Amino acid sequence: MIEIKHITKWVTSGGNRVFLLRDINLAVKEGEFISIMGPSGSGKSTLLNVIGMLDEFNEGEYNFRNQPVHHLKEKHRSQFYKSHIGFVFQAYHLIDELTVYENIETPLLYQNIKSSERQSIVADILDRFNIVGKKDLFPTQLSGGQQQLVGVARAIVAKPKLILADEPTGNLNSKQGEEIMELFKQLNKEDGVTIIQATHSERNASYGSKIINLLDGRIEK
Amino acid sequence: MLRNKVFSVINIVGLTTGLVCCLLLVLYIQHELSFDNFHPNKDRIVRVIMEYSFNGNKPVKGNWTSTKVLPAFERQFPEVESGVRMNTFWTSNVVKYGDKLFIESNFLFADSNFFNVFGYKLISGNPSQVLKLTNNVVITETSAKKYFGEDNPVGKTLLIGTRQMPFLVTGVAKDCPDNSQLKFDFIASFSSLGENQEQTYFNANYTTYLLLKDKNSIASLQKKIEPFMKKEMKNEKGTYINYYLEPLTQVHLYSPYDAMVPNTNIVYIYIISGVALLILLIACFTYINLSTVKSIGRAKEVGIRKVAGANKKQIFWQFIIESLVITLTSVIISIAITIFILPLFNSFTQKNLTVFNLLNPSIIASVLILLFTIAVLAGSYPAMIVAAFKPVKVLKGAFKNTAPGNWLRKSLIVFQFSISVFLIIAAIIIARQLSFIQNKKLGYDKEHVLVTHLTQTLVDKIDLVKSEFKSNPDIISVSKTAWEPVSIISGGHIRRADLPPSNNMNVSFSPVDEDYVKTCGLQLIAGNELSRQDILDGSKDSNNYNHIIINEAACKALGWKSPQEAINKKIFFGDGPGEIKGVVKDFHFASLHSLIEPLVLSSANWGNTLLIKTSGKNLPQTIDFIGKKYKAIEPNLPFDFHFMDEDFQKLYTSEMRTGKVFNLFTFIAVLLACLGLFGLAAYDIRQRTKEIGVRKVLGASVSQITILLSGGFLKLVLAGIVIASPIAWWLSNKWLLNFAYRINISWWMFLLAGLLALLIALITISYQSIKASIANPVKSLRTE
Repeated sequence: MIEIKHITKWVTSGGNRVFLLRDINLAVKEGEFISIMGPSGSGKSTLLNVIGMLDEFNEGEYNFRNQPVHHLKEKHRSQFYKSHIGFVFQAYHLIDELTVYENIETPLLYQNIKSSERQSIVADILDRFNIVGKKDLFPTQLSGGQQQLVGVARAIVAKPKLILADEPTGNLNSKQGEEIMELFKQLNKEDGVTIIQATHSERNASYGSKIINLLDGRIEK
Repeated sequence: MLRNKVFSVINIVGLTTGLVCCLLLVLYIQHELSFDNFHPNKDRIVRVIMEYSFNGNKPVKGNWTSTKVLPAFERQFPEVESGVRMNTFWTSNVVKYGDKLFIESNFLFADSNFFNVFGYKLISGNPSQVLKLTNNVVITETSAKKYFGEDNPVGKTLLIGTRQMPFLVTGVAKDCPDNSQLKFDFIASFSSLGENQEQTYFNANYTTYLLLKDKNSIASLQKKIEPFMKKEMKNEKGTYINYYLEPLTQVHLYSPYDAMVPNTNIVYIYIISGVALLILLIACFTYINLSTVKSIGRAKEVGIRKVAGANKKQIFWQFIIESLVITLTSVIISIAITIFILPLFNSFTQKNLTVFNLLNPSIIASVLILLFTIAVLAGSYPAMIVAAFKPVKVLKGAFKNTAPGNWLRKSLIVFQFSISVFLIIAAIIIARQLSFIQNKKLGYDKEHVLVTHLTQTLVDKIDLVKSEFKSNPDIISVSKTAWEPVSIISGGHIRRADLPPSNNMNVSFSPVDEDYVKTCGLQLIAGNELSRQDILDGSKDSNNYNHIIINEAACKALGWKSPQEAINKKIFFGDGPGEIKGVVKDFHFASLHSLIEPLVLSSANWGNTLLIKTSGKNLPQTIDFIGKKYKAIEPNLPFDFHFMDEDFQKLYTSEMRTGKVFNLFTFIAVLLACLGLFGLAAYDIRQRTKEIGVRKVLGASVSQITILLSGGFLKLVLAGIVIASPIAWWLSNKWLLNFAYRINISWWMFLLAGLLALLIALITISYQSIKASIANPVKSLRTE
C-alpha cells in the first residue's frame, strides 16, 4: 500500500541544512498496524505528515497504492488523501464552534456526499461509538477521552483505507488512552483499516503488529 | 512584530484620515454657521421681506423692497433706530481712474448709516461721514490697490458708470469678510442714485435692512406692520403690501430668499454635519476594533508581564497610555495634514477657509475632548480584557476569544457598514437628482448662449447692435430682454378682457423682443411669435397695445381649455389692452425647487440684458468678433459676458457643493470602514488558523475555505445593508421633497449600493482569506 524509498527532508536554518528525515525506507501492506517510536524531535510527526501528504519531502520516492505521490499535483494529492486517509491528532483538533455531530460530518462535506446520505453515515458512527447522546454538545463540554473519541470518529467517517495517528493518547490519562488503543485495534481487526501511529509509549506501541524506531530522522534497525 | 506594526500603521492612518475629514468639515460648517456673526449689532439687524398682491390674487413674496420702507418705518415705529437701503440686485458698474477701466461686479449704493449699522471696518474715514454726501464712495483695500497702487485713495476722484460721473473717495474699508451675506468692493452714497430715491412703496428694486433699538422687539414690531400698511394703502384700491422681518443672522441658513451671497439651506448643514459625525464614528470604531484585536494578539506579552509581577492596574494603565500616545500622534498628524490640504479643499468647495479658523477655542476644546474620549474608549475595552487575562492560560496559548468581545466587534462592523451603505445610497440618490436637474428638459436651450449687459448707449442703438452681431454666420440670433429664461423674477397682472378687473391675477413677466423665442429655443405650441410691429406697439409710452405670448400654465390659469383656444383672445395686461399672440410650452424659468407658474412674455421699454445664441462652432473667434463690435459702439466699457449655463449652475450652488462634499466623504467613509473590516478579517483569520488547518486536513479545498471565511464577513455586511436601506430611503425621500421636480427612488439604487458594499468588502477580505486558505496546515496544527 505504501512504498517509501530513500526519503530525505530538511529545512535550512541559518545557512545550514537541518535534516528532519534521512534516507527513510518503509513499506506498509494493507491491514497492517504500525507503531513509530522515538524520542521528541526524532521525526515521527514529520514522517506521518509526509505519509499523510500534508508535507513535502526533498528527495526520494513515495508511492501510495501504486500512485507516485511525488509526481502528483497539489489538487490531485488533496483529492487523493481526503478519500483515503484519516487523521487523528494528539490535541484532537476538533472545531470548537461546531457540535460533535457537525465535527464528525465535516470530512463528508468536502467529499460531495448528499445531505441524506451524510446523516445516515454520521448516525451510524455515533451509534457505533456510543456517543449519540452527546451529538449536540460542543467539544469544550467533553472530557479529553471523549474528545479523542470524536476525533477518531471523524477520522473514519469517510471510510479511509489508512489512519494516521500522531500521539493519539498523548493528552489522555492511561485509562482513556487504553480505550482509544482498543478502538484502534478493533478498527484494524474488524474493518481492515491500515493504521500508522506515532507514540512515546511502549505499551501503546505494543498494540501494533510492527514497531519502527526513529532517532534523529533515521530508522534504527 | 511586523504584523503589529502593520496594525499600528493601519490604526493611525485610519484615525488620522477620519480626523482630517472631520476637521475639514468642521471648518466648512463653522464657516457657514458664522455668517454675519461679526456685526456687533447682528441681533438687532433685520432684513425686510416684501409681500404684495393686486386685487386679491395670490401674494408674491421676495427679498426686494422699495425706497419708502425705511423712511416710513423710521418715522412711524419707535422700535426702529435706523436702517440701510441698498441696491443688491444690479451691482455691476463701470469704474475708471486714469487709464484703468474695469467693470466692477460688487458696486453697492447704500445709505449713509451703512458703517454704523453693519460691522464692516473702515481703515480711513469717519463711519458716520463717509457716505453722507452725494457722489461719495468708499472702496475696499483690495480695490484701492487695484486702482491707486500704494497711493492714498482718499480725496481722489473715480469716474463711475458709462456716463463717467465723478465720485469722491471718502474712505477705505477693510475687505468684506467671506462670511458676509453682503459683498462689496465699492460702496457709494445712496443719494447718488438721484431720481431713484423718490419715496414710493412700488418699484421694489432695493434691499432694506433695519437696525432696531431692542433685539427683542422684532415680534412686536412685526405685529404693527400689517395694520400700518393697510392704512398706507387706503387709497390704492385692491393693492395689498406687507413686510416681514428676518433676523440678519437667520438669512444665510434659514431664508428662502437669497442674499447677495447665495444662501445655504440649513438642511445641507445638517447633512454635512451628519457626514462628519458618521466619519468620526467609523474612524473611532475602526480604531477601537483594531486596538482590541491588537491587544489580544499581545496576550503573551501581557502574560509575561504579569508573571514578572505586573498587577492588573499597571497593565490597564499601560494600555490607556499607549492608546493616548497613538491618538495624540493621530491628532497632531491630522492637524498638519489639514493645514496642508486646506487649499485643495478650498478650491474643491469654492470657499476661502483658513487655518486660523481652527484656532477657535471651541474647536480646540472639542478636539481635546475627542482625543481623550477616543483614547479612553479605545484603550479601556482592550485594557480591561487583557488586564483580566489569566497568565497561565495565556502562556499556554489557550487564550480564547470571549463571546461578548466577538459580539461587540461584529456589531461595530455591522454598524460601520450600515453607515457606509447609507452614505453610498445617499450619494447615488443625490448624484441622480443633480444629474436629473442638469439634464432635465428645461424647455429652453441654455447651450452656447452668451449673456451680456447693455449700457444705455447700447440700448439706444439696439437695432444697430443686433444687426451688427447677426452679420456673423456663427451667431444664430440676438435678443434684448430683462431676464435670462433661467430665472425670471419680475411680474405683472393679467385678466381676460371678458372679465371684470377683480379677476386680475399675478403672473411672472419678462420684457422680450421679437427674437426671444428663437434665441432661447422656446417651443411655440399655438399661435405665432411676436413680430417687429407687435414689439413697437407694445413699447409705446401711451396708447400701447400688448401682443403677448403666454405659457401653458398661464393659459390654464386664465381658463382656456387648449392653447389654440387662447389665440387672439383679448386681455388686459397691467391694465393695458392687448391680445394673446402665441402660447409656448412650459419651461423652467425658476429653479426646479418650484413648480412652473403662469408667465407672460411681451414687449416693454425696459430690460438691458442681451442674449446671443451662437452655433457653438468657432466659439473663440465668435466671442472675439462680438467683443470688437461691442467696443465699436460702446468704447467706454470693456466687453464683459458670461454663458447662460453658468447662471443655471448658480441656481443649484448649494446642491452642487453639498453633492461634491458628500461624494468625497462618502468615498473616504467607505474606505475607513474597509480598513476596519480588513483589520478585523486579519484578526479573525488569525484566530481561526487552527480551524482552517483542520478543515484542510479533512479535505477542504482552497475555494471552500475562502468562501467559508468570506461568508461570515459578508453576512455582517449584508446585515449592514438591511439596516441602512430603510433609513437611507426615508432621509433621501425627505431631501427630495425640497424639489418640485425630482427623481423617483427605485430599488436598483439600493441594489447597486448593496452590491458595491459587498464587492468592496469581498475585495478587502479575500486577500487574507485566500492567503489563509493556501497556507500549509501542518504549521498551524503543530502542537508545540
